[in-house]
Amino acid sequence: MTPDPAGSRPGARPPAAPLPPAGPASAVAGEPAGAGQVEEPHPPAGPSAPAVRGPAGPRTAPGPRGADTPGRAGRGLRGAASFGAGAALLAAVCLAALCLGEPVLSPAGLVSAIGRPDSLEALVVGEVRLPRMLLGLAAGVALGCAGLLLQEALRNPLAVPELLGVSAGAAGVTAAITVFGLPVAAGLVPAFALAGAVGGGALCLAVARRAGDAASVLLTGAAVSTALTGSVYAITSMADRFELGLVFRYLMGSLVGAGWEELAMVAPWLLGAAPLLVLCLPLLGVLGLGDDAASALGLDPARARLAVLATAAVLVAVTVAACGPVSWVGFLAPVLARRLHPHAEPRTRLLWSGLLGGLVTVGADLAARTALHPIELPLGAFTGSVGIVGGLLLLRAAGAKAVPR
Amino acid sequence: MTAVGRARARTVAAPVAVVSLLALAAAAAAGQLLLGRGLPVAEVLPALLRDGADPLGERILWELRLPRAAVALLAGACLGVSGLLLQVALRNPLASPELTGVGGGAVLGVVLGLRTGLVSAQAHTSVLAALCGGVGGGALLWLLSGRRRSDPVWLTVNGVIVGVALSGATSVLLVLSQAEAAGALRWLTGSLTGLTAAHAALVLPWAAVGIGAAWLLSPVLAVLQGGDDHARSVGLEPKSARSAVLLCAVLLAAAAVSVVGMAGFVGLIAPLLASALVGRDPRLLVPVAALIGAVALSGADALAQGVTLLVPEGPQAQRLGLPAGSVTSIAGAILLIAAVRRRGLLNTGT
Repeated sequence: MTPDPAGSRPGARPPAAPLPPAGPASAVAGEPAGAGQVEEPHPPAGPSAPAVRGPAGPRTAPGPRGADTPGRAGRGLRGAASFGAGAALLAAVCLAALCLGEPVLSPAGLVSAIGRPDSLEALVVGEVRLPRMLLGLAAGVALGCAGLLLQEALRNPLAVPELLGVSAGAAGVTAAITVFGLPVAAGLVPAFALAGAVGGGALCLAVARRAGDAASVLLTGAAVSTALTGSVYAITSMADRFELGLVFRYLMGSLVGAGWEELAMVAPWLLGAAPLLVLCLPLLGVLGLGDDAASALGLDPARARLAVLATAAVLVAVTVAACGPVSWVGFLAPVLARRLHPHAEPRTRLLWSGLLGGLVTVGADLAARTALHPIELPLGAFTGSVGIVGGLLLLRAAGAKAVPR
Repeated sequence: MTAVGRARARTVAAPVAVVSLLALAAAAAAGQLLLGRGLPVAEVLPALLRDGADPLGERILWELRLPRAAVALLAGACLGVSGLLLQVALRNPLASPELTGVGGGAVLGVVLGLRTGLVSAQAHTSVLAALCGGVGGGALLWLLSGRRRSDPVWLTVNGVIVGVALSGATSVLLVLSQAEAAGALRWLTGSLTGLTAAHAALVLPWAAVGIGAAWLLSPVLAVLQGGDDHARSVGLEPKSARSAVLLCAVLLAAAAVSVVGMAGFVGLIAPLLASALVGRDPRLLVPVAALIGAVALSGADALAQGVTLLVPEGPQAQRLGLPAGSVTSIAGAILLIAAVRRRGLLNTGT
């Protein structure tokens, strides 16, 4: 990785770039002029509040928040309630993922099936639906969090793994290992995928180094991703027998055939990444203030950004190695989270991004495998279309609200 | 005056450009004829003579490779001109069928038509379905890109994303209709595998009409290049002129897409290279962009065939071979990055 481009390119420029982040806390530097101010309505309070409590605060109170103390407790309570509702919804979808399918089980039937471990139902639930649901959940949560990390660190809502070469890099390496039957231990596949993800991301950032504004960086990323996608097509077409399922898996993501092995492969990596994620939170809070404020607080913005990007790369790579890049979940979930809680601190957004990522992925997988039962739709194609159209509409609405300002 | 003079000096004389491009197109097509499976290079010439010594070889050459080369040249020309028209009409040097939702929409239109049974493959109805899809894809990008759509880079990023969304929808349909692998690869990335004379016959009239119309529209293009105010001052209603040009562009993209799928970046690179070669005169740009597009697609397919031959095959392999769309998207991405880094390019059109 090249530390400097990775760190400073999109973020360091905004003050000089034609883009608008006049408000130091604009979370979306790449947004239409003015949108940043709407997304983050605290700029007046932002810079002063954390500057005062900064040294003590990063770990406990990582956000630029707190000017309005009176409403805070109430808001926190409401936030907890709405998060609880979201979690309940997620639990309901997970339960549905266990119950629905062929054969359909009632929740009571589910319990009784677990009581009879030899029955067909228990086998279906225990060997097929449960690992698949868990893998989908893990992948969705990881991608939602990774998407948030990328978007916040690069301060651009379109900074998603799919546009930064991260997903495609990991997918290319994993596809090559599978198609050419390279002798790689199953447990090490995520490591190779990580190398691919880092390679793809570093290639993007290195190539984008001299591109001026954030949009050019994304365009470069889109071009690199397209080239890497082309390579995935090239690799899969060189297989002895071309299989469409392989393409869908590595380009869009799919949970077909996901079992305990895949889950066992990703679990240690994800568990290892979880503390990193927690460590990233204070960095996100400070990076969200803008590079100047971050330096004033004694944080090297380039290095902090690199750390956040590396964590995101781990999350994406591990997911891709197991089930492919579940397309654009990393775009939709954070954008939706920001839409639901536009004023929230990074911790809340991260929780919501993870929750929504899991919700979208498990829900989409449930729909993909049950909607037209004998035929299983490709999960990633599903989430990709829905995620892109939904996410762009949300961004557009945010931009439209900014017009009057 | 001096500025114009300098601009002229940098470009190549038109006859030189056209002749050398024709030579390149011939070379690329020859590469397509020579390379491939089932017929070694040494046996191509005897098969071309049709002396009946090698009936299988003759069939491969005359019924598969020749139509394939013809389709590559025609579809490439369509994509090149389509990209040129889009770039002029939208005043955006990064516009091209695949970056404006038109290509992805056209593919979706064809696949949807095939799935619903409204159109049949290799029939003119498939071009019409692609046309409808292309218009729909362009409209979707227009809706989603919001207020910043006049910014070429922003529009392009959004165009890439919308293209991904459309190809996601295409994939769902492909799975639903249990498409066979070769066809699916064509709709996903653009491939010339399995083309026959019927495909060539399908694309020929549309290419001829579309490119002819584009050439006839070149005075309009010249006026549009000057901007809306200029167009009004010479008595041309910019909106209707632009609609006509855009329709022609979508038609050409639809013609290409309905036979080879969306071979990425041909429609972006061909017009950019064309204007670097011969300047801004549309009467020259249209044929030169067509030629460059033809060379690009045909050359990409020849390269793909060559690479496929080089990679060793397993004993019972039923390999499809490298799709031409992979080659064009990898090569095109490199050129696109070079174009973005040369900031001058982005500033000329806006």
